[in-house]
Amino acid sequence: MSYAYLFKYIIIGDTGVGKSCLLLQFTDKRFQPVHDLTIGVEFGARMITIDNKPIKLQIWDTAGQESFRSITRSYYRGAAGALLVYDITRRETFNHLASWLEDARQHANANMTIMLIGNKCDLAHRRAVSTEEGEQFAKEHGLIFMEASAKTAQNVEEAFIKTAATIYKKIQDGVFDVSNESYGIKVGYGGIPGPSGGRDGATAQSGGCCS
Amino acid sequence: MLETDLHDLSDDADYAASQQQGSTTMMRTDSGRGSSSSEHEGAEVVYSKENVTIHPTQFASERISGRLRLIKQGSCLFITWIPYKGQNSNAKLSERDRNLYTIRGVPFTEVRSIRRHTPAFGWQYVIIVLSSGLAFPSLYFYNGGVREFLATVKQHVFLVRSEEDANTFLVNDFQNPLQRTLSSLELPRSGSIASAVSSASVDVSPSNSERRAGEDSHDERSRISRYGGKQRHKAQDPARDLPIQILEKFSLVTKFARETTSQLFRENHNNGFSVAEMRIQNQSSLDSPQTSSNDLEKVTDDSPVVQDPIQFDKLTLVWGKPRQPPLGSEEWATFLDAEGRVLDSTSLRKRIFYGGVEHNLRKEVWAFLLGFHAYNSTYAEREYLQSIKRSEYLTIKNQWQSISPEQAKRFTKFKERKGLIEKDVVRTDRSLSFFDGDENPNVKLLHDILLTYSFYNFDLGYCQGMSDFLSPILFVMGDESESFWCFVALMERLGPNFNRDQTGMHCQLFAISKLVELLDTPLHNYFSQHDCLNYFFCFRWVLIQFKREFAYEKVMHLWEVLWTHYPSEHLHLYICVAVLKRYRNKIMGEQMDFDTLLKFINELSGHIDLDAAIRDAEALCVCAGENGAANIPPGTPPSLPLDDGSYYIQQDEVL
Ligand SMILES: Nc1nc2c(ncn2[C@@H]2O[C@H](COP(=O)(O)OP(=O)(O)OP(=O)(O)O)[C@@H](O)[C@H]2O)c(=O)[nH]1
Ligand SMILES: [Mg+2]
Repeated sequence: MSYAYLFKYIIIGDTGVGKSCLLLQFTDKRFQPVHDLTIGVEFGARMITIDNKPIKLQIWDTAGQESFRSITRSYYRGAAGALLVYDITRRETFNHLASWLEDARQHANANMTIMLIGNKCDLAHRRAVSTEEGEQFAKEHGLIFMEASAKTAQNVEEAFIKTAATIYKKIQDGVFDVSNESYGIKVGYGGIPGPSGGRDGATAQSGGCCS
Repeated sequence: MLETDLHDLSDDADYAASQQQGSTTMMRTDSGRGSSSSEHEGAEVVYSKENVTIHPTQFASERISGRLRLIKQGSCLFITWIPYKGQNSNAKLSERDRNLYTIRGVPFTEVRSIRRHTPAFGWQYVIIVLSSGLAFPSLYFYNGGVREFLATVKQHVFLVRSEEDANTFLVNDFQNPLQRTLSSLELPRSGSIASAVSSASVDVSPSNSERRAGEDSHDERSRISRYGGKQRHKAQDPARDLPIQILEKFSLVTKFARETTSQLFRENHNNGFSVAEMRIQNQSSLDSPQTSSNDLEKVTDDSPVVQDPIQFDKLTLVWGKPRQPPLGSEEWATFLDAEGRVLDSTSLRKRIFYGGVEHNLRKEVWAFLLGFHAYNSTYAEREYLQSIKRSEYLTIKNQWQSISPEQAKRFTKFKERKGLIEKDVVRTDRSLSFFDGDENPNVKLLHDILLTYSFYNFDLGYCQGMSDFLSPILFVMGDESESFWCFVALMERLGPNFNRDQTGMHCQLFAISKLVELLDTPLHNYFSQHDCLNYFFCFRWVLIQFKREFAYEKVMHLWEVLWTHYPSEHLHLYICVAVLKRYRNKIMGEQMDFDTLLKFINELSGHIDLDAAIRDAEALCVCAGENGAANIPPGTPPSLPLDDGSYYIQQDEVL
């Protein structure tokens, strides 16, 4: 399939907050509560459309466990977007956000668009973090914010697409030199080649690359 | 396509010359010249035996007889086996076959071992294994003479009986490791092994098949003279000082290992054809398990499995040993004495390496492989141990079971651990019927065992990946306490995979990078140029020993093979190298960067051919030999920890 742009996303956050479930809901439109915990990283991909342009999202779902961090950090490199996820029913996953953010700022590129997601909002009766707290944190750190549920699919689609739209707008505004792949963007057919006129590699690869 | 590592023999001047000379002489037949030149070189036949025969197929009509000779030239001993010409030959047996199996002047510096088989009935035969791990087809001595053959070899090269097997004789296996390394380096030059291999390759020119016996012997001698000449040249050069010589030889071996393996892997580079498919597919046993006798001097290898020495498939090269069906109950019984001791654990482990274990026997055998039971324990001792350990388990389990909710409130570390384990056991192999459904009791067992383990080894605690290890163990052992103790035994070796500082993992990833450097330098260079040298793309492979890469049944097979620690404790690292090597051309050809490579490796899950990977890994391990082992840092898991004092010291704030 050909695309105008390919964006690399990473999903980060504590173990068990529902990163893999969010990915599966987005790519396969289903909720599978019994799927295996993540070791290292797993991949997903989906096409979306923004401004009538086909955009491919290549999503890296990382392992949340603390001790794997030294390895998962190496996956941040060259991501255009990040979904930073916590679990609204577990306070500690919210408390850890600052350290995740620090990791992301350190190891990803500075222009990465970050979406904060309070997941499992279907479990409102067990809520341990209020919506306002989430909003407040996002505002303080310049993140986009949404509460979502991988189980009911509420806001899942929106979260991924809104992130992409933000990245797309940054391209339009000339924030990125899209010919530089370290921004996590590859240009395909019909994309803006970018200030430096694009690189042969990037355009030639369109469509053929990735599943 | 990048094929730079493939050692093209045409650029090996010596090899090319020997080939050239061989074929030219054959076409312009001049036997007079041939014999005079060989006398000139001073070759002496020290042993000669007629009617030494190979059995390329199971049909008696397709046997090839020939003359076996040992030839001494200077200080070097060579073996040749030249098939007879045109005698009662049948149509099926082509000249091509005849040439394929011919052994032309292979020096004993390239021979690792000779294994003798002297069954009470049937012909005696020997199997000659080269340093590369390749072996020639078994040589049957129709007129007897194996003893004399070995005696002659012994007069000229250093020959010792293997400690593991009284019928295997190791060539130039010196006790002193340095000496041994040096002696194994007495290769005439690195190309020679390749030519030895290619002498069994299928490239046979028409002129070759028109050869007559006399010319064969000329050909054989002209090759020998090459080796001899080269060696003398080296020996005569006084300008070399020892350290440089050692270094050079070291690099020679490195080069040798690389070239040999790239030779062997060449097939699958070019057409995706598996090396394993070219190898002997013989399901019957070439090398049968030892019978239960600990008397090493006794002849133990002629067990009934080799009833008929004719039962060999057509083979050009023996690569490793042929695989056997999984170990079954009847055969298992033969490893045990009346009181239940495993008498020869080495041959048991070897047997399992080459075939695995039948599923219903795993429960019994895994406890040994994992080290829960000692091989020399009796039935009674094991039963006793089990009951002791069962109550010990319950005691430890009680430590957390007795924590009241009130107490737990003030025991954050416990609560967090328990919470993490609870989250993870419901995300472990739930698609298997053994673990599926709500309230599955086996999921509860996973939970209880892991939590108990985190009390048994409080410093290490619980880490993700442990449930992946425990799942097959519980599936096999069934019993809670036995699963726990087997898991404990496994963690003795693999616990460092879960060290917070990741030292255990980094050690292994580092070893992989060293092994790739040794066994596939172009691939190493590629990784280096593309910022992939951290080998993080192998992380999941190593952390849980390929648990996520194969179907469950395959994982159980792989693990029991790895747990034999035969032929290396670190075979899993060679498996990593083998899989990378298998896809090397794709990786380099498509110019994969770190991201693409990581994704590619992840998506190999479920698509790796396990049997081929194990065979390749064994071959790589044999090729790398001591050099390979030297590239793996001491204490690299699953080696037992060097110093158990401070192995699991964890940072405080973590689980
Ligand atoms: N009720 C509810 N449960 C959810 C939701 N998302 C995930 N879960 C549950 O939370 C558990 C953990 O989800 P995962 O997606 O595996 O968590 P993860 O973040 O990928 O965890 P790691 O892979 O360990 O980093 C799953 O067993 C799901 O059943 C949700 O939106 N609502
Ligand atoms: Mg996950």
